[in-house]
Amino acid sequence: MKKMNDRERTFLLMTIPILILFFLFNTLPLIKGAIYSFTNFKGYGTYNWVGFRNYIDLFQDGRVGRSYWFTFKLALLSTIVVNVISLILALGLNSKIKFKSALRGLYFIPNILGALVVGYIFNYFFTYILPAVIQMMGGEGTSMLASTKWAWVAIMIVCAWQSIAMNTIIYISGLQTVPEDVYEAGSIDGATGWAQFKHLTFPLILPFFSINMVLCMKNFLMVFDQIMALTKGGPAQSTESISYLIYNNGMSGGQFGFQSANAVVFFIMIVVISVAQMTFTSKREEQL
Amino acid sequence: MRKRKAVLSVLLAGIMLIAMGLSACGTDENAGKTVVELVQYKPEAVGVFEKLEEQFNATHDDIVLKIDSPNDAMTILKTRFIRENYPDIIGIGGDINYSYFVDSNILADVSDYEGLSTIKQSYVDILENLEFVPTEGTFGVPYVANAAGVLYNRDMFEEHGWEIPETWGEFMDLCAEIESEGIQPLYFGFKDTWTCLAPWNALAVDLAPADVCKQVNRGETNFTDEYREIAEKMLELVEYGEDGPFAYGYNDACTAFANGECAMYTIGSYAVPQIKSVNPDMNIDSFVMPGSDEKGGNVLNSGVDLQFCLTSECKNKEAAYEVIDFLLEHDNIQMYLDDQNAVPCKDETFDLASEVDGMTEYIEEGIMSDYQDHYYPSEMAVDAQIQTFLINQDVDAFLAKFDKDWLRYNRDIIRLVEEYEAAHGNE
Amino acid sequence: MKEKVNERVNWPITILLIIGLITVAFPLYMTIVIAFKQPSEMTNSISGILSLPKSWSLANFAEAMRVTDFWRSLFNSFLITVITVVISILIHSMIGYAVGRNKAKNKFYNFSYLYIVSGMFVPFAILMMPLVKQTAQMGIDNLVGVILCYVVFYMPMNVLLYSGYLVNIPVALEEAARVDGASTFRTYWSIIFPIMKPMHATVAVLTALGTWNDVMTPLVIMSGSGMNTLPLAQLTFQTQFGTNYNLAFASYLLALLPILIFYIICQKQILNGVVNGAVK
Repeated sequence: MKKMNDRERTFLLMTIPILILFFLFNTLPLIKGAIYSFTNFKGYGTYNWVGFRNYIDLFQDGRVGRSYWFTFKLALLSTIVVNVISLILALGLNSKIKFKSALRGLYFIPNILGALVVGYIFNYFFTYILPAVIQMMGGEGTSMLASTKWAWVAIMIVCAWQSIAMNTIIYISGLQTVPEDVYEAGSIDGATGWAQFKHLTFPLILPFFSINMVLCMKNFLMVFDQIMALTKGGPAQSTESISYLIYNNGMSGGQFGFQSANAVVFFIMIVVISVAQMTFTSKREEQL
Repeated sequence: MRKRKAVLSVLLAGIMLIAMGLSACGTDENAGKTVVELVQYKPEAVGVFEKLEEQFNATHDDIVLKIDSPNDAMTILKTRFIRENYPDIIGIGGDINYSYFVDSNILADVSDYEGLSTIKQSYVDILENLEFVPTEGTFGVPYVANAAGVLYNRDMFEEHGWEIPETWGEFMDLCAEIESEGIQPLYFGFKDTWTCLAPWNALAVDLAPADVCKQVNRGETNFTDEYREIAEKMLELVEYGEDGPFAYGYNDACTAFANGECAMYTIGSYAVPQIKSVNPDMNIDSFVMPGSDEKGGNVLNSGVDLQFCLTSECKNKEAAYEVIDFLLEHDNIQMYLDDQNAVPCKDETFDLASEVDGMTEYIEEGIMSDYQDHYYPSEMAVDAQIQTFLINQDVDAFLAKFDKDWLRYNRDIIRLVEEYEAAHGNE
Repeated sequence: MKEKVNERVNWPITILLIIGLITVAFPLYMTIVIAFKQPSEMTNSISGILSLPKSWSLANFAEAMRVTDFWRSLFNSFLITVITVVISILIHSMIGYAVGRNKAKNKFYNFSYLYIVSGMFVPFAILMMPLVKQTAQMGIDNLVGVILCYVVFYMPMNVLLYSGYLVNIPVALEEAARVDGASTFRTYWSIIFPIMKPMHATVAVLTALGTWNDVMTPLVIMSGSGMNTLPLAQLTFQTQFGTNYNLAFASYLLALLPILIFYIICQKQILNGVVNGAVK
């Protein structure tokens, strides 16, 4: 009994100071921000209380609505694309290949390049190089970034290109927790290729899969840098993400109060979604 | 746990020490002197301001001038205002941020500053007009302006014998003629939405009343009536641009113009340094956007690019005025102009960059009007709305949305105006 | 492990992976080429974009280093990143452990877990203004404030990673130590902390990358303090009316090297950590 108390006390000592720190630098400013959502605060100077006006506006604002649709569409598809590709890449990089370290290092580079570099280079790629390639193949070559139909695909490609690296690493570290003898035992049972992956490898790296899902959703729902670097929300406001609107209109523009309301709604929405997602995946983990 | 804590506290103490050591540097040397801090928002002019700072400090014993030219200065200024850490002087543009700062009582009244009388009245008026409601006092000393219209490749024009157009009809004929000779008349770079505002503003000063936004705020007119001609002419103009203008950005357009891929570029004098970085020997001149259908009906699009404002927290106004006096000295302005291709606001004769030759006449006679977008709230994203309109080409839908959005994004300002009018009556 | 790799190399996969590298090599090639070119060599034609610079002079790099006050900015960035990463590994793994071990049985820890992890989805823009004011009031509108902000920003993600990794570590390991009479903290420090090495490496890479490249936090929190980080100094290259891409890219390449080296070190750690774990 005494031992348990020591254990409990240590756990509390580990948790509470850090929780306080977290509260001070995350929750407290969030609450302050939420309070501003009931004002017409510009970010500085004087302001007035406006009650629920910002929230009422929010649900009537077509631009905000379109940004939600765009962000969720982008996040969902990018998450799928990124996870499929990085899982394949991780399997490749984890198999018995030559130049393993060098290859792993090189495939990581996209993640280190800053948004401006990536944005600038891909701008060139989408504006000049890709249309020329399509024209050579006999198609009609116009820039994807200039088309309201295709710009979001271009953004998805760049998002995926950048984040595949990190997800691959997490998958690799997951694959390394799978002991060699599991495969050996599996191959005796005749499990190879897809069957081996589906029944042996994948269940064992499921925790890493759920981490990657959450990380991806997080990164893509908050997508900002890529938008700033590639389209700045254009063409015709078709690629404005929620974070872009919150930052651009709240911080650079004079809409801090309104965008705080937007941020609060967005935050609540995501918390609900991710709690549901986490409960779901942890249930699945327990089943396995 | 203890071990961990010890490690942590040593680390934290280390950071504190380093941070304090760094921030404490250089506080002692200025003891007994008045320190004036100036933050200006044009990082591209950092070289000139460093020279000015050095010269000022070499010639003044009792005042120490510190000039900071940070990157992304607007964010820095706003965050410093939140922290209530005010510089003495701020160098900003005459745009909607200035209006907000005046409205928030952040700036000090400088109408008692004597140097103000040497500034061209038209620029002082431009600042006056930027106030949401007429506010007692003057809140900025205009320093330099920029001008927008059409830049053209002088050599190309001379070679083909093209004439500078003075009316909209002539302009369109010129474009058609250039095109018929197999040369691209214009380049826009509309992928960066803000570039959509450049021709828009230049046309708007020709075709709409200068205070149209204020008139709308007072409920006297609407944009559907006032902006229709501008919108229609924008559509005509786009015909002569590059194919798929929404694929190319500002940088692409500057590069294309610099490399002689087009004859003209509808942008402001501020683009000249970027163009010249690609082609340093290019011979550029400019003309005023000929938006009007009649000769002599055009107005130069010019706004305050840099002005100096005192914050209301500035403790030593006299020292700050002395700094501004120094900055306004003839040679110092000339130094700035040479470096930045700018247009002076001071009413004296200066050597102007050859790139604004075509606009000098208007500048000297004061036939100019401020950028309309200085009145647009940035969160309304008028630039993106114009881009959308140019893609969809639907004038009515664009103007209807413009009017609707205007009322929504400006309702606090409109309420201010209504309150003001109720108290003061119409001017 | 190494012997096994040499045993039978899977060449088809190696070759496929090398072909796939084009997607990485192309942007990297462009970055390098642009970093060496002069502004007057920039054109809009494809051949011009892809061509090699006229001369491989290091002038752009020298100029970029001068403009950004490279060594000082590098030192500041380095200081912030290293301290953030060290603190993050120490305290995030600790709370990750406490929460991860107890969240299944104990409501308080489960709540703490969800509370912290949900912090991941707070848009920075809403925190920014209040944080600016708060750090100023607390007198930490400097390095300390920036580091504390980072430690808190990365906490949700890192706690998620650590507590997720903990699922793979059997509780039996700790129980054995406890039977030997070690305190809970001792058990954590000497057994769990070393086992989590691969996760430390992942956390270090993620946190270091985010901190190293971040502009916004130092911009708003320590502006006016006269201290620059590398990304802050690099903003000089980009203004609305003109961007000097050649200098900018030279500077980015310089900033990329330290983090690349760091990653290569960490990658070895990820491997070693697993080997150590297997030995146990």
